[in-house]
Amino acid sequence: MKSPRVGPRLHSLEVPLDGLTLIVPSAAVAEVINSLTLTPVPFSQPWLKGVFGWRTLAVPVISFEALVGMPEPVSPATGKIVIFYPLSGRSDWEFYGMFATAEPRPQALSHSEPVATDSELPDLPCIAAGLKVGGKLMLIPDMDEMKKMFYPD
Amino acid sequence: MTDSNQYMRLQLGDTSFLLPSSSGFTIEQRENLITNKSPEGNVAAWRVVQNTRLPAYCLDASLRATRQHLWHRAVFLDTVPQAVGLAVDEVQLLPRAETTISPFTPLGIPPTRLGHLFSGAWVTGHRAMLVFDPKALAAYLQSLGEE
Repeated sequence: MKSPRVGPRLHSLEVPLDGLTLIVPSAAVAEVINSLTLTPVPFSQPWLKGVFGWRTLAVPVISFEALVGMPEPVSPATGKIVIFYPLSGRSDWEFYGMFATAEPRPQALSHSEPVATDSELPDLPCIAAGLKVGGKLMLIPDMDEMKKMFYPD
Repeated sequence: MTDSNQYMRLQLGDTSFLLPSSSGFTIEQRENLITNKSPEGNVAAWRVVQNTRLPAYCLDASLRATRQHLWHRAVFLDTVPQAVGLAVDEVQLLPRAETTISPFTPLGIPPTRLGHLFSGAWVTGHRAMLVFDPKALAAYLQSLGEE
């Protein structure tokens, strides 16, 4: 009997936001912590919600919803902060956090998940593509576009 | 005498920020300054040096100019073309060994022509106290007007 072909699986995290779900490689995430009080950063962009201390580093926290122009969750304080490794080409201390509405869930992608068509994707910036995982639309953030917004110089 | 690793804690409203002592500054008591008695404008007081009036501004915790009257001192930053002051509720020179500053770059578009207002943070546990970039702070204060 021929066993089903099993390809390499991509370990990912499903990150629930308010009104959409992101999917990111697990390797991009350093840690997930409970939400906490942030230090506001005066004159920052509306999507930069503040900064907090983590492993001796100062980590800025964003609202992805605000970054892409969606309404923000009423109470991000009840959710989680997903801490991402620095974006490519950035300094090794430039971790950043993102509010999530709940604990991210692991997903092992098998490369067989259908890719969302353009008409299925929301008309938002910072979205590279979408996958339909178990019938649910999960969006892949466009890290290059995020990097341009984070570090415009 | 201070060294480049020392920081001053400046209290603005209910929030504190740090300023590197290496930036060059002068602290003046309020009684040595000329208070702006007009309710108009952003200047809280002036320091007069050789017939030149150097403005000092009072900022709230979100760094907006305010005309509150509870400040006691002003820290004048040595900058070109002339020094500019920040009125503070409290100023404290922190011991060198007490502060370890982590680099920090705020995300997004810088708010001043000289970049972001902050270049670091003092992290203690989950708390982060922001460290001013002196040149950007001076540029921001100078943008608040002379009156």
